[in-house]
Amino acid sequence: MTEPALSLFHLLLGLGAIFFLGYGLLTALIPAPGFSGPERTALSFGLGVVPLTLWLLALTAMGLKFSLPLILGPLLVLVVGALLLARWCGRVDHGQQSAVSSPVATENRQPKTGNLFWDWLFLSLLAVLFVFVTLRAVLYPMWAWDAIATWGCKAKVFYESRGVDLTCIQAHNYYPNLVPLLLTYLYLCLGQVNDYLVNLVFPLLGGLLLMLLYSFSRRLGLSRTRALGLTAFLALNGATFIVHLYIAYADLALTYFTLAAAGLLYLWLQDAAPRGSLGLAAVFLAGMAWCKYEGPPLAGTVVLAAALTLIWLRPPGVWRRLGDLALPLAGLAAGFLPWRLYTELHHLEAGADHILGFYPGQFLASIPQVLLYLVNPYYFGVLWPALVLAVILLGRRLWTSPRLFLALFLGGNLLAILLAYGLAPTSAAEFSQYVRGTLDRLLLHLAPMAALLVGEGLKDLEAGPGE
Amino acid sequence: MVLLLWGLQCLWLLWHFGDEARDLAWRLAHGKVGEAVRQEDPFQQWLTALAALMPPDSTYVFLDHYEAGKEIQARYRLVPRRHILLMPDVPPSFLFYTLRRKEASFLILRDKNLAPGPGLLAAEASPAIRPVPLPGPGLVFRVDWARLWGEFYD
Repeated sequence: MTEPALSLFHLLLGLGAIFFLGYGLLTALIPAPGFSGPERTALSFGLGVVPLTLWLLALTAMGLKFSLPLILGPLLVLVVGALLLARWCGRVDHGQQSAVSSPVATENRQPKTGNLFWDWLFLSLLAVLFVFVTLRAVLYPMWAWDAIATWGCKAKVFYESRGVDLTCIQAHNYYPNLVPLLLTYLYLCLGQVNDYLVNLVFPLLGGLLLMLLYSFSRRLGLSRTRALGLTAFLALNGATFIVHLYIAYADLALTYFTLAAAGLLYLWLQDAAPRGSLGLAAVFLAGMAWCKYEGPPLAGTVVLAAALTLIWLRPPGVWRRLGDLALPLAGLAAGFLPWRLYTELHHLEAGADHILGFYPGQFLASIPQVLLYLVNPYYFGVLWPALVLAVILLGRRLWTSPRLFLALFLGGNLLAILLAYGLAPTSAAEFSQYVRGTLDRLLLHLAPMAALLVGEGLKDLEAGPGE
Repeated sequence: MVLLLWGLQCLWLLWHFGDEARDLAWRLAHGKVGEAVRQEDPFQQWLTALAALMPPDSTYVFLDHYEAGKEIQARYRLVPRRHILLMPDVPPSFLFYTLRRKEASFLILRDKNLAPGPGLLAAEASPAIRPVPLPGPGLVFRVDWARLWGEFYD
């Protein structure tokens, strides 16, 4: 076996272990039958990554050097224990159980009918995209700015020192470390710093994100063809998403965690989520908080939008449901606090440079730039104009149904982006450049949820007027 | 209408990523992938030579503008060596202070075609700082930081 093939095998084993960890957690949290196979696959990776990377941080905090037995041993023992417990409690689905424990027994409530021609067209487009981005990711070494300045550089240092060592990094050492520690773990699996093969994890994350979007839109009632079309519509709309499939930034990971957390909460608000989904959403909110510096506030807006939706709609049992949101909030805290505590204990300055004051001039100057990015097809194609059309189409139904959650989340975050630019500590000369360097990424975090709202508009189109 | 516009922009995407796809196909055909991509860049070749020259536990001062984007490449390639970035026009006092204070054993100028700043001119005149004959786009000096006097910085 040649060395590259052996390295690829080791990498796949490492990724497989993450899926296995996540699958164990999913099985322990969600009674069967809950999620479909594609949903389980798409959720398992995120569910595995969060405890794995937090465990790596814990190892450093305990003064222990990274090694694969030390990383995987305790986690695998826990997962096998959880799986045995779930089996003992009868939670593992052996194909014989029926919908007894879940309000939504199947992946979706629509028959799998559709137009085969369009199905194959959308699938072919996605296949071509993923062949390109996967090869683009794994055949070229890391090269993009933040990949080598921050995420990839940290991963290399952590691997070399077998711990969270920030002594030779000056900038951004207070940034959360989910992505660098994930890469570090994969380097440990590879046995070396191979900064091109490891990039495989980024198209994988993108593929899982699209699988989630497809599954969520099916669960919300879209036909197979329209759900596939919506998935292709997100993936092939402008250059931003495609480029993030291979440049080794943390933004794609944050986008994946955001879609999973917000999507699960949205399904819960729609009463379309399997029982136990709030616990899963909590893990994904933890992933958001542990993924990027802007993750905790973004995660906060997910929970806030859910709470405001409940308060506005006042469904039966509103106070109990508001109380249930404590679980996702606890997840957010569980993702945020460990790193925050670590930075405090090690006297790392935690981004105080980001909040010096509010600059109304910058706030006003950012408005036309944000609007330009939303309509410029280079960045997101026609996604955001399609969202406006969907909002118009949904009209009053947006305010009288849980779809309000999507509107609040998207609208609130667009406003939050403008406010954040009002707080940004840049000089007037550099402000435009600062916006250009960050805005596409901030919008990327929201893009899958925008696609989900477009999907709701599509569903209404499919159902016809009056429904 | 939205579908039509989306279709058109899909065609634009095909055109936009065309160059990258062609480069990818060429690399696959010729087997020039992975580390070979990096070594096509003279700056990266120079960094490889620097990595062979500098002990892993050493500290170096890198003279460059952050905006050029080369400094982050150097830091990434030379990890775990300790990296200190200073501007190319750094004054002698601060350069010497940093070299001594941080116990830096190498001084690197990224672009030898830049007009040397006052700090570098003073370094070249110092007996504690000797040039290293390493071919490449920049200049490399070995620093005997213990011979630099003074805890000064004006």
